[in-house]
Amino acid sequence: MKKTIISFVLLLTLIVTLLSTDNMTKNRFSLLQKTNDLKELSVLDVLLELGEKKPNHYLMKANQDSVRMGSEMVYFGQLKDKSNSRISKFFVCTDCHNQVIEVSDLSNETANERLIYGTKNDLPFLPASTFYGMYNKSQWYNGDYASKYGDLVKPTRDTLKNAIQLCAVECSQGRVLKDWELNAITHYYKSIEYKVKDLNLNQSELNQLRTDVASHNTRSVTLLRSKFNAINAATFGELDPIEPVNYSADIKVGEYIFENGCLHCHGMGKDITNFEFDNDKLTLSFLKAKLKKHSSYSVPYIVRKGTYAMSGRRQYMPQYPLEKMSNTQLFDLINYIKSKSK
Amino acid sequence: MFKKSIVLVSVLVTGFSFSQDKIWDTFDGTRALSNHSTEMLFKKSLEFRVSHKFGDITGDNGGLQNFYGFDNLADVRIAFEYGITDNINIGLGRSKGVNERTGVVDMFGKIRLMQQEEKGKPLNITYVSSLAFSYKKASKDSTSSNYYQTATERLIFTNQLIVSRKFTDRLSLQLNAGYHHRNLVTFNDVNGLVFTGGVIRYRFTKTLGLITEYNHVWNRSKDTKQKNPLAFGFELLTGGHNFTIVVSNHQGVNENVFLSNTTSDWLKGQWRIGFTINRRFKL
Repeated sequence: MKKTIISFVLLLTLIVTLLSTDNMTKNRFSLLQKTNDLKELSVLDVLLELGEKKPNHYLMKANQDSVRMGSEMVYFGQLKDKSNSRISKFFVCTDCHNQVIEVSDLSNETANERLIYGTKNDLPFLPASTFYGMYNKSQWYNGDYASKYGDLVKPTRDTLKNAIQLCAVECSQGRVLKDWELNAITHYYKSIEYKVKDLNLNQSELNQLRTDVASHNTRSVTLLRSKFNAINAATFGELDPIEPVNYSADIKVGEYIFENGCLHCHGMGKDITNFEFDNDKLTLSFLKAKLKKHSSYSVPYIVRKGTYAMSGRRQYMPQYPLEKMSNTQLFDLINYIKSKSK
Repeated sequence: MFKKSIVLVSVLVTGFSFSQDKIWDTFDGTRALSNHSTEMLFKKSLEFRVSHKFGDITGDNGGLQNFYGFDNLADVRIAFEYGITDNINIGLGRSKGVNERTGVVDMFGKIRLMQQEEKGKPLNITYVSSLAFSYKKASKDSTSSNYYQTATERLIFTNQLIVSRKFTDRLSLQLNAGYHHRNLVTFNDVNGLVFTGGVIRYRFTKTLGLITEYNHVWNRSKDTKQKNPLAFGFELLTGGHNFTIVVSNHQGVNENVFLSNTTSDWLKGQWRIGFTINRRFKL
């Protein structure tokens, strides 16, 4: 009797193992089938196929209903049918985050590259990282954000959902997100994750990737990883920056930053901040006068430190790290203000 | 989904373009000085306002003995205003009141009918309907304007259409016309008053401006001592706060009070300093 049971268990184990192997083969086969349209594949799916470990926010597939709900919360701060309360009464995500690619080369997300790509595509010039590809990052609230938020950043460093939660509660001065809201936003992130086509692989790299996916060769992991930043660095600049060596003012750049950066939130009628203005002479003269005082009201100070939440005035402006606005760009902004207020 | 994102971004960009086309900040606050301006509170914004008028600076009730009016309180109003939508506002206030109209609770509804655009609509047009109710004990003097016999006699109404235009970043003009009605007046007065007014705002800097406000009542009874309210003011803007210093002949700080209860004469030194401070909150 014992032998029969053992034989039965062994047989069962063999069947399960065979079935699993068959499933894996099928999965691999289905991905291989898709290689005809390799560029449309998700970068993460390809990395997983090549043996990479799943991130803890991994989703097999974006649920379209969750994507819709997530995008509504990102763009409007709540569901459009208003069945949930606003996440923040002050901000929506798009006040600080773009939702599209911000650079032509995802491995080079410098302030200068953002400026070039942003100017070309008339994108808002914002202080925080784009949500496009946020799903593909492996670490959040990096660098100097630790000096701003302290221990609050620790749980966010390796967990996307914790980063979303911190952004909702601290950055937007809003409320704690419920689990279903976090999930919906994660599904939305999944919908705007990096695709192979975003990595701008040349033909030879694409051929290599196609071969490696088919043969399960991990060589292409390095190739893919080299094509985008897994971490968005954040370095807070000096409050009273020194003009860069050999600096030559570019007023056009300053104008772009003023209009697509400052006015994105401070523009008249936006109702995002208490201090609304336009690019008129009165405003620019006002900002110019503040430049001389080197106080917390001056443009360099506010760009580099932001403004802080205080009693009775919970909303505040986040600062631009050097990776989002370089000192050269900051001086272009200052020179634009000076030139227009003459 | 990427396409969906593009559509959403396009919708936002389109919305942005529309809002850029509108002209904002014709006046900084929902009041020019004492009267309403064409400005509105945004949806879900709450504004807390405190308006205060001191006593006469000079004349019989002013001078050093009354520290140029600072020892006296002419009127004070505390109010809350709220934006139901960007184009519909309501408000509720309480003021001390002046003369026989004291203990005044007022409320208003305000609707924006048109907003000036860079290329397009040339004017801001707003309609305001307000009413005030004096809850203080009725006078026993039958010749008094507060000899109330019924609750409805305590009511005062003011309806006005306000039109403004921002001509330059510095200069804004406003005209208003309306009808002011008191349910109970003295025998030598008239219940319904037709009035028109004007406001000029000139900004010296982003945060400092000069405002003049005048209202003229056309059918005032000659048997009363009522005067037309005229005020000059400086506005100091600090972002979230709006601080206005006013010099006026009228004591009242609400249109239901100052249009028909201004008896002070500029030429007799019967003018006073006042101020308004407000604070906006997002709900």
